[in-house]
Amino acid sequence: MDPFTLFLIFLKANLLSVGGLSALPLLREDLVVHGLATEQQIVEALAIGRLSTGPSGLYVTSLGYFVGGWPGAVAATLAAIVPPLTIVPAAAMLRRQLLSSWFTGLMRGVTISASGLVIATGIGLIEPELPLAQIPIWQFAITAAVAAFTVHGKVHPALLIVGGGLIGLALGR
Amino acid sequence: MTIGTQSVGGGPSTLYLMRQLIVERHGWISLREFLEDWALSRLSMGVHLIALCGLIGARLGGVRGAAISVADMLTPAVAITILITAGYSRISEAPLVRAALAGIGPVTAGLAIGMSLVLIQASARSGRHGITDRALAVAATAAGILAPTSPLPVLAAGLVLGVLFLGGEHKKSPRVEVP
Repeated sequence: MDPFTLFLIFLKANLLSVGGLSALPLLREDLVVHGLATEQQIVEALAIGRLSTGPSGLYVTSLGYFVGGWPGAVAATLAAIVPPLTIVPAAAMLRRQLLSSWFTGLMRGVTISASGLVIATGIGLIEPELPLAQIPIWQFAITAAVAAFTVHGKVHPALLIVGGGLIGLALGR
Repeated sequence: MTIGTQSVGGGPSTLYLMRQLIVERHGWISLREFLEDWALSRLSMGVHLIALCGLIGARLGGVRGAAISVADMLTPAVAITILITAGYSRISEAPLVRAALAGIGPVTAGLAIGMSLVLIQASARSGRHGITDRALAVAATAAGILAPTSPLPVLAAGLVLGVLFLGGEHKKSPRVEVP
């Protein structure tokens, strides 16, 4: 996969996303459905993104590496940097309009619907290889517990990932 | 700015650390300016933290300031992320790693779901409007489950509904507490 095409795929996902992991559903569509990455690699990239420093949005760097090696990682990172920075000139010129009612409504609509899509994606990531009805209960339990811990923000994500790995070793295939 | 952002390591407490360093310790910008940039950064596309760094950097040193602060925040993090990924790629096929992933998959799913719930909570308005906002979240989730391969129409619907219905109760100050 050439880095420029990869850059465009990641750029599109970031341009159409607002905060958090909201680029994820779009990336999953463009990369997994077209066979460029696997569901497993999405899980791995998300885990590495949380284990590493920096904003959690940097999982795209890891995903870029899986798809295209070092050039892929650089392309994915650049594609993540450009869209949020458009706010800087926008804020300089249109600060008042940006805080206006219709624009905040627009961003609220996109943020909330993107977040709903990420929840759906998250459910799909619990065990990508099995249909929902066949997923073991313990995997659902981990997901529910981690979601609760994340909402309350008391436990560091790295600890949760290590804990999940240990449970996987004990109960996994 | 260099020292300020380089020591900001990430994780959930990044915002709090940034505020401490930039506003309280160094007094580079006022708390009001920080909060305004924070509110603006939440309206940006993509990763909000990058937008916040850009806005604060631009306040301090124009285009150059924005570039330096973003580069400072991201360079160590990107390098570490690439190194971890490269190291991981060497062991990713080991049977032990495969087994551990059976537990790590559900954890990343939980993290993604939890982060989205937090984001929805932060974006939703209070009172009666909050019900509309959360109904949109539920509808988008359902759409995502039923048609997982077409996120674009859902986002477009969210955008249109947002302009039409979610703009009321205009508030300049964010309802959510800044950590």
